[in-house]
Amino acid sequence: MARVDFNDMINLGGEILEHHKLFEGIELVRLEKYLGMDTSPAWDFKTPMVTGFYRPYIIKGSDKIEKITIGELHYMKRAKYCVLTMTASDDYDLPYFSCEWDETATRIGVTTDFMPVVDIAVHPKYCEKYLSPLADLWRKYRTIPGFTKEGRCLLQRRWERHPWARETLSPFCLDGKVEEKEDRYQVLLATIEYAKVWLDLLKKAEPIKDPDYKQEMLMRKRTMQKYYRDRDPGGEIIQKIFGEGNRTLFVSIII
Amino acid sequence: MGEGIQWSPYLGEMKEEINQLPIREIKEWNGHDLTPAREFRTSQGYGGFMAYGTEKVEKIGIGDCVINGVVHYGLCTIFPSEDYDLPIFVSTWEERENEITFLVDLMPTVDSLIDEEYRKRYFDSIQRLWERYSNLPGICPEEDDVIRSLCSIVYNAARVPLDREGMRLAALAPHTEYLKAYLGFLKDVSPVADDTKRKELKRKREAIRQTLRAHYEELLKGPTGKALGKDISELMIHMFF
Repeated sequence: MARVDFNDMINLGGEILEHHKLFEGIELVRLEKYLGMDTSPAWDFKTPMVTGFYRPYIIKGSDKIEKITIGELHYMKRAKYCVLTMTASDDYDLPYFSCEWDETATRIGVTTDFMPVVDIAVHPKYCEKYLSPLADLWRKYRTIPGFTKEGRCLLQRRWERHPWARETLSPFCLDGKVEEKEDRYQVLLATIEYAKVWLDLLKKAEPIKDPDYKQEMLMRKRTMQKYYRDRDPGGEIIQKIFGEGNRTLFVSIII
Repeated sequence: MGEGIQWSPYLGEMKEEINQLPIREIKEWNGHDLTPAREFRTSQGYGGFMAYGTEKVEKIGIGDCVINGVVHYGLCTIFPSEDYDLPIFVSTWEERENEITFLVDLMPTVDSLIDEEYRKRYFDSIQRLWERYSNLPGICPEEDDVIRSLCSIVYNAARVPLDREGMRLAALAPHTEYLKAYLGFLKDVSPVADDTKRKELKRKREAIRQTLRAHYEELLKGPTGKALGKDISELMIHMFF
């Protein structure tokens, strides 16, 4: 097993924005307030233990986005906790784009997914429209060592101890633990490619017309948000670092 | 090739569990006589499929067949009666000389993300089985994207390499264990009284049924369906979905 030095760990924000230019042609605008909260404490932070940022944006001139968050938390030069999340506004039924990873010397633990905001068994067309475009990428990247190990493909098992989280995942989730340095970059590429698909779907997205469907969608969306904000083990860490008062702001920005 | 393969006792083991229920054979379904599928032999294969009814259950479909001596298919589905919120039991089995491909699941009949009580009742309680089988050689996500979209958070799928003695039985264990768990739920389940919940159950149960039916109709247009013949293929759809 290779160990990766802190300085060689991946800076997700930099990779997304500068190296891969994921948002080229899109003007990201700072989201100053979210759910009535001033987001500025999260934009850049530095404490004795951590440095980093969680920066929420919207897209200039678009009503389709609730927020896009890019974040990195560097912990005592030992670990990095990074996120890229993209949430459509309530008039649109795009899945949640979620990538969260924590990287240490020995491995990255990652989950990258389009989390469906409706029950896809009841709405198979949703699956066709929003999730099937991931099928080829999913098949390509599920073989990354770590996702597949000793002849077993262990996707959909990272959140073993958190069944509520597994409920939120799509059939095309990429999740697991990846160790080798070059394989970690494969995870990054997978994330970038998934994000490109999502942004392409965003361009084509039309507002929801059926009020019953919208109500159903919002119920599931709110439930997912609540689960992650209340239960994600990362929330405990955020609270320890930034204090109870800031927990709601940080976890709400992240998911 | 394939001559003399000692196929796994899929049907025997699964049937042994089901036989513990007071089952009665369903001979006709929606105007279709199912009895010709009980035992059949064509130029390319042989096997048998049966449907049963029992309390709290709409139907149980179970059976297996061998095609051209090289592949052994098994299938078992259990659809609950509309008064009950039980998941849909699905077990598929494709056994070849060197590999077994399978899926076993309790497909949720509600949105189990929102309905946490449902999730806890049916899935958290078999989580330990799901965890245990993560060590089974060849464990992997279900290959078919559509079928995977129906699955619960505790489904097991695998492509088990038959490179050691005992692997056929090892691959069978998740099926019998999940079936035992399901029959335990069946014993304890009470009818759903709430109308809104009943509507939700009906909608999702029928959506899953339609998806499974369409999937298997498509599958049976291929070589397996041709080997079984049109009549048996059609009866399978009525029997299992």
